[in-house]
Amino acid sequence: MAEEFVYDPERNYDEATLAQLRDMEKEIADRQNLISNRIAFDKLSEEYAKEDEIYRTKIQGDLKNRYDYVRKTRGDGNCFFRAFGFAYLEKLLTDQTDLKRFKDVAQNSKSELVKLGFPEFTIEDFHETFMEVVGKVENQCSLDELLETFNNQGLSDYIVVYLRLLVSGFLQKEADFYSCFIEGDRSMKEFCNQEVEPMGKESDHIHIIALTNVLGVPVRVEYMDRGDSLRCNQHVFPEDSTPLVTLLYRPGHYDILYT
Amino acid sequence: MTSMEKRLHKELQLLQKEPPHGVKIDVESIHRNLTEWIVDLEGAQESLYRGEKFQLLFKFGDRYPFDSPQVMFIGNNIPVHPHVYSNGHICLSILTDDWSPALSVTSVCLSIVSMLSSCTEKKRPPDNALYVKTCSKNPKKTRWFYHDDEV
Repeated sequence: MAEEFVYDPERNYDEATLAQLRDMEKEIADRQNLISNRIAFDKLSEEYAKEDEIYRTKIQGDLKNRYDYVRKTRGDGNCFFRAFGFAYLEKLLTDQTDLKRFKDVAQNSKSELVKLGFPEFTIEDFHETFMEVVGKVENQCSLDELLETFNNQGLSDYIVVYLRLLVSGFLQKEADFYSCFIEGDRSMKEFCNQEVEPMGKESDHIHIIALTNVLGVPVRVEYMDRGDSLRCNQHVFPEDSTPLVTLLYRPGHYDILYT
Repeated sequence: MTSMEKRLHKELQLLQKEPPHGVKIDVESIHRNLTEWIVDLEGAQESLYRGEKFQLLFKFGDRYPFDSPQVMFIGNNIPVHPHVYSNGHICLSILTDDWSPALSVTSVCLSIVSMLSSCTEKKRPPDNALYVKTCSKNPKKTRWFYHDDEV
């Protein structure tokens, strides 16, 4: 029989708890690349079958008819940003129509952030790395190289940080309009400091709306929840646009979908 | 040079060139050991800590700036403040949960000066005795609960 747990108020449990959290993070990191290769739905469905009948039904009866592949991302709280960044740049590799516009927006975004009061000397490193990766795409690097870049934690996290800063900048600039969408009694700046800028903080609608707006890149999200409906609900940000990227949302997580 | 070292050198240069008011660094000691900085801090003029001098110890890990630095007060003058324990540990959300890689040594120092400045009564945290007895040496190993942004 397991030993009964007796709480000892004189003891510090924090260290053990945090060590356990780190172990869990490591386990997830060992099991799942930051961005995976393309996976066929039957394989994904096998993985879900063990844990969830409802997901399996929605994959087989709905998603599979409308999409061909999925790329999984690591569940580290940054998955929306990483999935969005990778999926869009991957799209630009095969279709450069939007490249020039995007490059200009990305290039000019740093001075926008500085104008909003972000310290140039910390944000310029993230901007530089971001622009280097955009440059690779402009020079038609291989898909493998892009995938490698996004799976290199150092580089990949620089990209995530920059996208987070862009979201924060947009929301603070448009605070008058978006303040009513944030929960709790806090200012937009506080919300951005606590829920947008720190790594690992999960993304909500407001993050998606901000990122698609600031970069001018429309996104479709397929929502696969545990509800009874046989189909996924989809939402396009902004409404009535033609999405360049499609993401699959399961509560708490974003992957990438492909036709 | 690793990205952590590159970033720290950059921060060091800027702090030497434009140190914020009341913040001083010992450049020589930092050059000897880039991953541990001692920062001298002065209580702001209009605060309860006017004229007091404090020292902060910053320790940086390999994952800086993605991971927050470990920051605590050291030396024989630990500010008496509701968010500062007598062993130098500081309960401040940007040092753990709300850390962002866009923050820096400078922004941490400014937040701490501002935290001191908004204090209206010098006292220790209510759980000081127990915390100091049971906590880890590393304040980042404490799971802080941030409840009060007013002080």
